[in-house]
Amino acid sequence: MPTDQLSRTFAALGDPTRRQILCRLAESEATVSELAEPFPVTLAAVSKHLKVLERAGLIERDREAQYRPSRLQIEPLGDASDWIEGRRLTWEQRFDRLDAHLQTLQKGTKDDD
Amino acid sequence: MTEATTKAEDLRIERVFDAPRELVFKAWLSPEQLSSWYGPAHFSVPGDRIVVEPHEGGRWELVMVQRDSGAEHPLRSRIVELREPELLVIENEALPDHGMGVTRTRVEFFDEGGSTRMVLTDGPYEAPMGGMAGQGWAAAFDKLSAVLGG
Repeated sequence: MPTDQLSRTFAALGDPTRRQILCRLAESEATVSELAEPFPVTLAAVSKHLKVLERAGLIERDREAQYRPSRLQIEPLGDASDWIEGRRLTWEQRFDRLDAHLQTLQKGTKDDD
Repeated sequence: MTEATTKAEDLRIERVFDAPRELVFKAWLSPEQLSSWYGPAHFSVPGDRIVVEPHEGGRWELVMVQRDSGAEHPLRSRIVELREPELLVIENEALPDHGMGVTRTRVEFFDEGGSTRMVLTDGPYEAPMGGMAGQGWAAAFDKLSAVLGG
């Protein structure tokens, strides 16, 4: 059973009702009953879909508010600072390899001495 | 949430390497050495396709090859400043597919009693709509809306 975040995200997007919920949330945040309106399904069923979307990191819901409005949560994927963090990670990993490379080089030199 | 803000920032990273400054500096100019450390994980950087002309105005070019798909990502840069063994500045050609304009990679090398402190600044990273990832998701949701008839 794939449990990584990307698999959860794709699994969540694999259902037409959930995709429509996301499209609705792309316009504005909404409560469970507002989200359930266009669908011939129960509130409980919509709640279940929201749980899947929440676990996939695609939406967030207010903890305290009585009606727990849902919000689309795609900012973490697109936030500028995340973009830079991605670049940072690339460089850090590059430096790790440079470090290992330099150690190997020096070891070779010492062995030759 | 999706307003088209453009934020330009430089990335700055420091690392101390347990190696003399000349050696660390050389790792940036030797194609053979670049090949063994430069590629991000999942990429290889074939040494025979690296071009380094070690003087100001010289080319500094390599190709990153994705290991699984074989997709190639050329990186074409020019050496803007070269002061061996203390400073290397390269200017990188824009990568529009990756949402990146022209960037500069500035690497300073400080001798610390046999070790080397390397300070890298890279940028500016302009991330309109959050760069590649953001654009990807915005586009996906646009398509989704279109398919569903809005």
